[in-house]
Amino acid sequence: MSLAINYIANSLLILCLVTSIIQSRFLFRIQNYNLLSISQISAIQFLSILVSFVILIFLFITSDFNFDLVYFHSHSEKPLIYKLSGVWGNHEGSMLLWILILVLFNFLFSLSKSSSQKFKEITVAVQSLMIFGFVLFLLVLSNPFNINNENFSDGLGLNPILQDPLLAIHPPILYIGYVGFSLIFSLSITGLLTSEVDKKWATIAKPWVFAAWSFLTAGIALGSYWAYYELGWGGYWFWDPVENASLMPWLSATALIHCVVVLQRKNTMQSWTMVLAILTFSLSLAGTFLVRSGVLNSVHTFASDPGRGLFILIFLFIILSSSFILFALKSEKIDKPSSHNISSRNTGIMVNNWLLISILIVVFLGTMYPLATDLLYNQSLTVGPQYYAMSITPIIILFLFFMILSPQLSWGESKLLKILNEMRYILVSCLTITFLTTLYHDLFNITEILIILLSLILIMSSLSSGLNFKSTKVIVKSNFGQSMAHAGFGIFMLAVVSNAVYSQEKIYDAKVGSKLQLDKYIFDFKNIEQEEKVNFNSIKAYLSLSKSGKDLGEFTPEIRFYSDPPTITSETSIIHQFFSDVYVVMNVPQNQESISLRLHIKPFMNILWLGVVMIILGGIITAILNRNNYRENEIN
Amino acid sequence: MTDTVKKRLIKFLVSLIIFGIAILIIVYNLRDNIVYFYSPSEIIENNQTGSQIVRLGGLVESESVMSDGDSIFHFKITDGQEQISVKYQGILPNLFAEEKGVVVEGIYMNDGRFIANKVLAKHDENYMPPEVIKSLKETGKWQE
Repeated sequence: MSLAINYIANSLLILCLVTSIIQSRFLFRIQNYNLLSISQISAIQFLSILVSFVILIFLFITSDFNFDLVYFHSHSEKPLIYKLSGVWGNHEGSMLLWILILVLFNFLFSLSKSSSQKFKEITVAVQSLMIFGFVLFLLVLSNPFNINNENFSDGLGLNPILQDPLLAIHPPILYIGYVGFSLIFSLSITGLLTSEVDKKWATIAKPWVFAAWSFLTAGIALGSYWAYYELGWGGYWFWDPVENASLMPWLSATALIHCVVVLQRKNTMQSWTMVLAILTFSLSLAGTFLVRSGVLNSVHTFASDPGRGLFILIFLFIILSSSFILFALKSEKIDKPSSHNISSRNTGIMVNNWLLISILIVVFLGTMYPLATDLLYNQSLTVGPQYYAMSITPIIILFLFFMILSPQLSWGESKLLKILNEMRYILVSCLTITFLTTLYHDLFNITEILIILLSLILIMSSLSSGLNFKSTKVIVKSNFGQSMAHAGFGIFMLAVVSNAVYSQEKIYDAKVGSKLQLDKYIFDFKNIEQEEKVNFNSIKAYLSLSKSGKDLGEFTPEIRFYSDPPTITSETSIIHQFFSDVYVVMNVPQNQESISLRLHIKPFMNILWLGVVMIILGGIITAILNRNNYRENEIN
Repeated sequence: MTDTVKKRLIKFLVSLIIFGIAILIIVYNLRDNIVYFYSPSEIIENNQTGSQIVRLGGLVESESVMSDGDSIFHFKITDGQEQISVKYQGILPNLFAEEKGVVVEGIYMNDGRFIANKVLAKHDENYMPPEVIKSLKETGKWQE
């Protein structure tokens, strides 16, 4: 049985390999094969991977421990959802998921009608060449369908810290983002090959690039939210190498989506758009695989599994070098002479592009520096979060300023005085609000005040440009997605700064029956209980929260002792209020009498996530409403 | 030189200068915020006392963990050759245990004690911080 499944799954992968070669024929100008259309072959590519993925899911659900992957990463007593997420909770399975999304995008694009036949043929060919590379890698170096000859009675299990509903959907969402940029990359290579990087190219690419960006943003946000409540360190971003690896493609992708808009409107910045498209995909590749293969975490894991790491590095090198050689040959041809006024929107977008790239460089250096010193000088070190805060803060202030200014500028020529005049109500009200805030709350320093002021102006000006308030009716304008995302970013920044200033934490050694206090909150430590669950034992503490006599709910922080694999995790308990999250983490009991509890007050967390959701929705709206209605003053 | 070439050259030089300054600021910032990692032997050898925050990693010595209430813990970190007493107030991570790998962050005092403000252990049970593996290998205490 297992042998038969192994045989079928591998045959499907080989089928995908063969069809990908057929699809890439257009690159070599072989056109005499016309038995099936492109979209039909793409459908075969997609279905072969889909079926093999379903087979893998089936193996995990039925706990077939004859397969190495299932044996190492699953357990028969695990709840169904975690058997499912176990499929992509490991290297081989996540590779297959990655390829599944790769062929899905290829298939969807082959069905789209926005581009010419020739353009579509070459794009699908480039994409298929990549599919070929990855399927080959999967078959040879990380085959998920390897079988063992032992009869294991049970599996080794999945790390309990990964047994979380949010973490089950985090990788697929993040991968849709990463892999979405593979299509943008293929589109760019096609544009360079055919020397057709123009308004039409941007119109074809725009929905895809915005969709990929929205998914990438959502993926990062989910990871961050998971870290916030699961790790229980009170933070939502730790500048950890793994987090940075997903932030870097996001920064470059954010620059890219703005360039695509400029390209669509003004037919300029062709070569810069191509550079960003190539960069974003390279960073996405590096992000997924260097994290998975452990290169970023430590250099040592790399050495223990040279095959995989090396393949990815070679693949990355081929993609980077070939695309940049192509770019060098073609960039002269695609660049059209442009004459735009210095006070047009292009300038603002260009400046913010540079600022985004600067942040990218900051993150890149911070992530790579420890790796470099370890390799070169054998000196281990860490870069503290202070480095990121200090380097990025000044850039963010400039960034917010141009984010306010750019949408106010027209695509042609604009007068700064006129803009100031139009924005006078917003400016005055935001200055007043900020002034009053700082009057009553003297915790803020000057940079924080500046960020708050700029964020407020950004929120107001974005909302007022996306909505048209006419007497009783509110009209949603065509740039609604943009203004929503921009307002969301303002809200996000506002929450980040206020959260950093107002967060409080305190650690108590508490006995049952005692009352603990943090700020105006009273924590009544009521009870502690031991429980036996299906796949773990737990110690649970019960505390009730009240503020000035009003009951606000109950905390149940928990310590879990898993047996397969043996691991201890602590479950944070959070009470969400509108303006602030209050949360409790409990320590593994060291003695009988008392227990260590860490209490946190995290203000504005809901508002922070609201900002993030608005950014994501803004991207999705723009991807769907890819309309071309120009506002009157924006016609060239 | 034609006008366009001149324009491009100026553009290139200006961006190069801005870029250079930016990189300088970043690297300067980076150097200020580096936290070095030492094993107990290295920290004694380098005599890294003072106000600088450093990381210290090794194994938690067996039967060295003591608590005197109020979440204050004392334990010793060893690399097989030297050992350092550590004082820490706070919540110990779930994976903190005797004879397991640990990394602490804090200040190495003149009297030879280490005052930690962070205890790091954030991965699964088999996880050994790579720096600890390295230093254990150097002292020959590493067992596969």
